[in-house]
Amino acid sequence: MEAPAGCGKTHQGADYARELVDGVGHGRPLILTHTHAACSVFAERTKGAGTKVEIRTIDSVIANVAAAYHVGLGIPADTASWVRQQEDGYAMLAQKVALLLTRYPMIASALACRYPVVICDEHQDSSGDQHAIVMAMLEAGARLRVFADPMQSIFRDKSVTGSKPPWDWTALQARAQVSDELDLPHRWKDGCPDLGTWSLAARRSLLNDQPIDLRTGVPSSVAVVVAENQAQKNLEYALSKSARKPMDQFVERDASLLVLTRHNQTAKSLRAFFGRRVLLWEGHTRSALEGLVDRISSARGNSAGLAEAVVSFMGDVGKGFSPSAFGDAFVQEATEGCTRIRKGKPATIQCLARYIVDDPSHYGVARCLARIDELRKSDAAFAAVEIDHASEFRDAIRLGDHENTDEGLAQITHHRTYSRPLPPRKAISTIHKAKGLECDSVIVMPCDAKTFPGNREARCLLYVALSRAKKRLMLVVSRQKPSPLFLM
Amino acid sequence: MKNPQPDPEPPPPTTASPPSVPAIYELTITRFRGISALTWQPAKGVNLVLGGGDVGKSTILDAIGLLLSPTNAANLSDTDYYLRDVVAEFAIEAVVSLPLAGKVNQQVKPSWPWVWNGSAAIVPSIEGDGPSTSEAVYRVRVRGTADLELAFEIVQPDGAADHFSVGLRRSIGLVRLSGDDRSDRDLRLVQGSALDRLLSDKALRSRIASELAKTDVHERLAPEAKAALENLDKTFAKQGLPSGLDVSITGGPGVSVASLIGLRATRAGKYLPLVSWGAGTRRLASLTIAEQNQGDHPVMLIDEIERGLEPYRQRMLLAKLQSGSSQAFVTTHSPAAISAASEAALWYVDHNQRVGRLAAAKIAKHRSKDPDMFLARVAIVCEGITEVGFVTALLEATLGSSLHHHGVHVSDGGGNDTTLDLLEALADAGILFGGFADDEGRHPDRWRAVMAAHGALLFRWATGCIEENILRAVGDDQLEAFLVDPDGDETGTRLRTLADRMNMGDEKGFAALRDRAGARFRDFIVAAATGAVPDGIEDRDAKKTHKAHARCWFKNNEGGRELARKTFQLGCWSAVKGELLPFCNAVRRVVGLGDVPDVQL
Repeated sequence: MEAPAGCGKTHQGADYARELVDGVGHGRPLILTHTHAACSVFAERTKGAGTKVEIRTIDSVIANVAAAYHVGLGIPADTASWVRQQEDGYAMLAQKVALLLTRYPMIASALACRYPVVICDEHQDSSGDQHAIVMAMLEAGARLRVFADPMQSIFRDKSVTGSKPPWDWTALQARAQVSDELDLPHRWKDGCPDLGTWSLAARRSLLNDQPIDLRTGVPSSVAVVVAENQAQKNLEYALSKSARKPMDQFVERDASLLVLTRHNQTAKSLRAFFGRRVLLWEGHTRSALEGLVDRISSARGNSAGLAEAVVSFMGDVGKGFSPSAFGDAFVQEATEGCTRIRKGKPATIQCLARYIVDDPSHYGVARCLARIDELRKSDAAFAAVEIDHASEFRDAIRLGDHENTDEGLAQITHHRTYSRPLPPRKAISTIHKAKGLECDSVIVMPCDAKTFPGNREARCLLYVALSRAKKRLMLVVSRQKPSPLFLM
Repeated sequence: MKNPQPDPEPPPPTTASPPSVPAIYELTITRFRGISALTWQPAKGVNLVLGGGDVGKSTILDAIGLLLSPTNAANLSDTDYYLRDVVAEFAIEAVVSLPLAGKVNQQVKPSWPWVWNGSAAIVPSIEGDGPSTSEAVYRVRVRGTADLELAFEIVQPDGAADHFSVGLRRSIGLVRLSGDDRSDRDLRLVQGSALDRLLSDKALRSRIASELAKTDVHERLAPEAKAALENLDKTFAKQGLPSGLDVSITGGPGVSVASLIGLRATRAGKYLPLVSWGAGTRRLASLTIAEQNQGDHPVMLIDEIERGLEPYRQRMLLAKLQSGSSQAFVTTHSPAAISAASEAALWYVDHNQRVGRLAAAKIAKHRSKDPDMFLARVAIVCEGITEVGFVTALLEATLGSSLHHHGVHVSDGGGNDTTLDLLEALADAGILFGGFADDEGRHPDRWRAVMAAHGALLFRWATGCIEENILRAVGDDQLEAFLVDPDGDETGTRLRTLADRMNMGDEKGFAALRDRAGARFRDFIVAAATGAVPDGIEDRDAKKTHKAHARCWFKNNEGGRELARKTFQLGCWSAVKGELLPFCNAVRRVVGLGDVPDVQL
């Protein structure tokens, strides 16, 4: 099923799964997604079907199989930490599991018996190996319903040596018993039908390598604002006071809003841009936390190394705990073992370092972070310390509740996977993390040549971004550095 | 919008024909009851388990029964642990094939298959060459813990042990026709029984329970009982306990009303529970109920199939089992059952608790001639009847009592070569037997191998035959006594066979024969006693006559015993003791007795 955004793919998939729960006696339908966000949406839509529908990311299913057969795959029992330690760990895992299922059809059979029907969501994001795994289940007797939109393929295949080549959508369509395309823009049915029609038209343009024509036929629900980025630093964003007005108004207007941008760095910058009133949607990845855990593991017992890890982590999740303001002094205290007599702010910093000097392990780090959190609320000297990734920061403090960091990280990840957090009503997000979400109002910014050059990846990203809006869309374009994806 | 409806019914999986019948591929028992360690790979169909008493046949069946138990109720006692060592725990583990489309893949937590490579369950691997087969198996086990509790586990390929749920065990199914007379669980609505599975009325229990709850127990109480209850009520009220007491049927843990429900049938116009019929009928009934469950292939356990069944019904039952597709485990002491089990895999549990497969063709002759050979605790296969008599007498002296008392069976192997064939077949199956044979100069390599396999329990003369070896030890002054038949009947005949061989006509005097033969006298005795045909005799009748000579000497059971007695009476024992005593002590050890320095007959 070729499924453009907003055409009821999730609705159909969920309905189909619910029907199956009533119809199929044994086994349970499996909904395979690529993001935890999509899992959350499906969980919402299949409420009432109880635990009979299983909603999983394909990576988590692969990780399950890999953990069960880790001996035969030549990887350690703690698959999760192995994956973290590899570059492209999940891609390597998928490759191994794909090979395993090809060699041992009985494992695919067991999966097919457990999940007689598999619904693949956003299948365009499946790598060659992930696709092979799904196809092994098909061979083993499972029925597949595949939803894909080649235009929403924004997670590039991470190709590791020996990976299967990307699969072909047209060939899969030809192989299917039934193949069709969703073309009714459901998402906009109640709100803004003309925005839906326009989104589908924009998709067709992008699909055919044509720019989106902003000169004519733009409905009133789509606002095009010209603004030139004033920021000096690469990937940051700033505007003159007068130029930012339309965006400020747009952000104030609606309770349900997403500010979408391409790069992490820009997202962080936009948080400052909107005066920290809009929260950052952290999605499900915790790259800073994972980095912290890895650094703690390698610097165990080494106070200076741990202090550096804290400074680097604080830089990743927020701002203000900078080397000049705190970091350098903090690391120095940790290096010297907090031996000098200090007063005032340096004394407070020494206290922070003492947590690590007294217990140079993840416990000390967690206590130190918890204390920073208290200080930034109570101590004027720490008022400038801002936390953008609040969840990630909290998770880091929680590491101290666990005996070791690997176990802690696994538990925290597990909890996040199953609690399925949703983004705040108003949020800034990267386009990647917003995939699968929808919202009344969406600003896509900046829409310049740097963010959206004329390649296929940019086309897909742009389409994903603009199709998130249900009622109002604002595109912040540039005349000085125009994106080739627009005709202005 | 185009929105094709899903097809109404997904087709069944079209995989590489997964096994649809649950079967045990390998069973490993550790420290369970009398078995310290046992590993066995049974066949998929009917397994007929033979062996003497107390070697653990029933324990094997009990172990399977416990592993696949359809309930969680455990009444373990320390006797379920080997040597009553509770702390060391026991474990029963099986590699089983399960229908993939069945319960195993419907659990909340997935269980992952291992791959069966033809001889073991291994973790599928992407290293090395691909597999030649890809048959899914699971590893399940039950452990008896140090707290006398049972832990049911399904072992995942990563070594983790998940719960082997009662639901999954029930889905495998177990039909058990046990040796105990009154345990007829399959004729009653016990959870997981054949009858329960057949009726599969899940709501029945709650319906009956709610009916029973309506019963007015209070009305049925005797006046004294009512008074006592009222008294209790007052006391409760005084002490602030719940009051307004009454009694009714409330049920309780571990007791299921449904298990009191059983099949009944009419006999002579009266309703009688099926439980009150004869053992054989009850067993056949249980089996028939199990058969009614379509698509159900429970593992069958039948202890002592002959119990309550006439030979014709034993044959009927075995035919039924052999035509079905369930895996069955059957023990028997019945020759009729053994001979009816033409399609079954025959297994023998030896005194070391090793389970070996008997090659049906190789043992067929021995089985029909002497079925007891495979029903004894330890069997000694002798190459001929003389040896049977000799060994019986020698071992009676060795053990100090009759042989059947110890489960020792001395069997006639029917010749040197057939004995070798049989011992070889047994050794190939990993089963240890005893044996007693001559050195006839043939197949030295095969004998060496088979002796290495069976150990000291297999005796073979270093050279020559038994008569030769004993006679060699007889002093010249005892030679006449050696020839004397203690019953007196055959002494003359024996002397005549010697005279015939020396062409001495009617001469029967011992001294005359001895003087005539000179140095060759002992050779003549051995030749006559073994019925050897001298070189140069071609005539059939003459050959026959010479062979017949042996009959009046030791070529029968009593003759063998006579030879044994003479060994001691004539002072030959010291000469052969070095060779024979290790054999005697090997038998003592097998039956649980210690070594002795000497044997006296």
